Amino acid sequence: MQQGIRFIHKNNENAFGGAVKLISPICSSHPPQLHFLMANPAETPESNPSTPKLESEDDREEINGDEEEEEEEYEEEEDDGKPQTREDAIASRIQAESLFRRMRAAPVPVRVHDVIVKGNEKTKDHVIEAEVDVVREATTLQELLKASKVANFNLQALDIFDSVKITIDSGPPELPGTTNVVIHVVESKSPITGQIGTFTKAEARSSSLEGSLKYKNIFGYGDIWDGSLAYGCDHSAEVGLGMYLPRFRGRPTPFTSRVYLSTQDWLKFSSYKERALGLSLGLIASKYHELVYTTAWRNLIDPSQMASTSIRRQLGHNLVSALKYTFKFDKRNSPLRPTKGYSFITTSQIGGIAPDSRTLRFLRQEVDLRYAVPLGFYRAALNFGVSGGITFPWGSGYKSRASYVPERFFLGGNISPVCSLGGPSALWGFKTRGLGPNEPRREVQDEENGGTYERDFVGGDVAVTAFADLSFDFPVKWFRDRGIHGHVFACAGNMAELSENKYRNFSGPKFLETFRSSVGAGIVVPTSLFRMELNYCHILKKQEHDRAKSGLFMTFSTS
Amino acid sequence: MEGDQETEVYTLVARKPSFDLPTACPNCLPAYIYLKLAKLPFELAFNSTFPDSDELPYFENGTYVAYNNEDGGVIEKLKKDGIVNLDAQLQSLPEYLSLKALIASWLEEALTYEIWVGTEGISTSKIYYSDLPWVISKVLFYKQTYMAKNRLGITKETAEQRETQIYKRAGEAYEALSTRLGEQKFLFEDRPSSLDAFLLSHMLFIIQVLPETSVLRCKLLEHNNLVRYAEKLKAEFLEASSSSPSPPLHSFPSSFTRKGSKPKSKPKVEKTEEEKKFKKRARFFIAAQFLAVVIYLSVMGGGSSDEPEYEDEDD
Repeated sequence: MQQGIRFIHKNNENAFGGAVKLISPICSSHPPQLHFLMANPAETPESNPSTPKLESEDDREEINGDEEEEEEEYEEEEDDGKPQTREDAIASRIQAESLFRRMRAAPVPVRVHDVIVKGNEKTKDHVIEAEVDVVREATTLQELLKASKVANFNLQALDIFDSVKITIDSGPPELPGTTNVVIHVVESKSPITGQIGTFTKAEARSSSLEGSLKYKNIFGYGDIWDGSLAYGCDHSAEVGLGMYLPRFRGRPTPFTSRVYLSTQDWLKFSSYKERALGLSLGLIASKYHELVYTTAWRNLIDPSQMASTSIRRQLGHNLVSALKYTFKFDKRNSPLRPTKGYSFITTSQIGGIAPDSRTLRFLRQEVDLRYAVPLGFYRAALNFGVSGGITFPWGSGYKSRASYVPERFFLGGNISPVCSLGGPSALWGFKTRGLGPNEPRREVQDEENGGTYERDFVGGDVAVTAFADLSFDFPVKWFRDRGIHGHVFACAGNMAELSENKYRNFSGPKFLETFRSSVGAGIVVPTSLFRMELNYCHILKKQEHDRAKSGLFMTFSTS
Repeated sequence: MEGDQETEVYTLVARKPSFDLPTACPNCLPAYIYLKLAKLPFELAFNSTFPDSDELPYFENGTYVAYNNEDGGVIEKLKKDGIVNLDAQLQSLPEYLSLKALIASWLEEALTYEIWVGTEGISTSKIYYSDLPWVISKVLFYKQTYMAKNRLGITKETAEQRETQIYKRAGEAYEALSTRLGEQKFLFEDRPSSLDAFLLSHMLFIIQVLPETSVLRCKLLEHNNLVRYAEKLKAEFLEASSSSPSPPLHSFPSSFTRKGSKPKSKPKVEKTEEEKKFKKRARFFIAAQFLAVVIYLSVMGGGSSDEPEYEDEDD
């Protein structure tokens, strides 16, 4: 995010000379411009700044002498090719400096009289006004400047405008000390945009490639409709249609909804395939909180007919109706290479929110805590992380009922624990779904498929992972410039089953005794799409049947 | 749990019981009856979330699994793998093959037709969808009805013609079977076979599950010897050897439940013993109290009128 105030010598028509250009943080290829125009002229600045300048010059004397009417004029065109005389330039600069001196000295009181929206043909007025409500509450010029910055940011974030210009104009002459805020927007000409990106999905526990088409602002409510196709590294595929509304019935947070059809192929690891047709509604989405309701028809099948006993018992159809709340507090300085800060995420999920008692009833809780300590040399940092999760069914007979396999925890995979935020998921050195409770598959009379594994990893109801990672830059400048750095790490994790009365066999000492662990070192290569690690891992401790081997591994993570 | 031992515990996983049958699914019942006829001890487990699967019923023993969509069915697979084979000496008989063809094609078609088309699926909700939420059960019902009609070759044009043909064939099959059976205990003299399992399952299903308005049911009930055959075998093999076919005590939606004879009987026995103990102790306590009062009174005063219970006759 870059922001700054630049004073640029303005052309001589400008009464107060100088100009302020505030570059909005977010952006696209069109940096929005925040113009501060204080003028009697009711006209808002067009892209041609010359007209207002002339008028303001007329009023210069009046304005100058009047402290109540804070009318200072700032106007700025970066690419202004108009010739400027030296005297005018100096005059402008003096004007600007005096204004800012005044501003620095004391708050300059001002009242917002009206917010005028221009340029929106399709977008409804109230949608824009809702995003800029913050400017109405400003009581001083300083606050107004800040509020305008925020409003500009909000409007850009709607993603439906090509450019946004906010101008602070003087209010009606009969009301001194007032300003009008004029918002000039240019709606996107081409409402359809497409994008391709890589993401790491928390549920999939792996990276995926996603392409989507977005159709923006069809109804003028700032609505964004998108259709997407995602393909994951773990043979998962998803096609979905989504709708995003910045404001829904006056609620302050955006509303998202998504209909999706997804398949996940776990045949190689757990002998089942999962298909889901679902609807998810994002009810609350703010900086720290997120509440999502999902209802989905899930079907587990086993085309290979090789599944172990536990998996066989779970094949079939299920209706999931679940509410998920996430609290995320991430103060690390970077999600891909954190060197300072800490983060805390807790996710709680309750399934079975439906009047029908035959929907899947489960409780799930995940916690993730990270801490990064900078060490001061070679941009080195020590990263610590602990995460844990537990899931259990609820309802009648919950103790002896088995938890639903897709809702259990699985550890291992080709993602890096440093980047995968949100619950126990990865351990260096262990393959996808490569550790934890496992069962023998169905016996086969003839040994045709020698390549496949003979055991199913059925997942655990409780999982704990912890890691420590020391990252450092290489002394070679070439690597440093590209962000390639090295790291040394250690991690440990374990899982256990609790449902189906297995909690009776669970004991803390035994759980600690069977902890898996690994250490290693490697090189991290950050690319524009993802963070790649090439590591050498040494497995310190593993249990029988775990799929882990000491050697070279690559991981791919996206933020 | 017993099922965790992987040595000799046989388990048949079928759909849930209903209509007073140990499993109400017409595909699962033959396998159940076959194992009962063979007198093989096994446990019954349920899968209530997969009504449209052709893998059910399946038979498992440790890591050995016999699915119904392999090798011609569970029963055939059990015969082939040497687990239990009731047809060892019968397979060479010519009547065996023709009866098998009759039961496997005409009777099976008639039953499928009657469940999904004839009675419009009125019994299917209890057989297949009792543990599934309404939305899923509705969609699966339409899907399974459509697939059944496809399998039977029923279209708008051929519906009436197929119906007549199916009922006619079923009637003829019942006639033939009734003649063949006579008053024998089993289809083949005095030894049970897999064909008895199929036929018994077919008849029990029709009699107990289908509504009384069912055409097929009426046709079957015309043959008294078949009905007697069914009742006799049911009484001997299904009700005597297993525990009462009642649904599990707790309804576990979409989950796996086990049913075995031992766990059910234990709590009842323990309860009565406890009650007996309690009653004994209570009686003992009351008696001791009474004795103490009597001794006290006799020691302290003797013959006083403060004992209304004791000296009632005096007053």
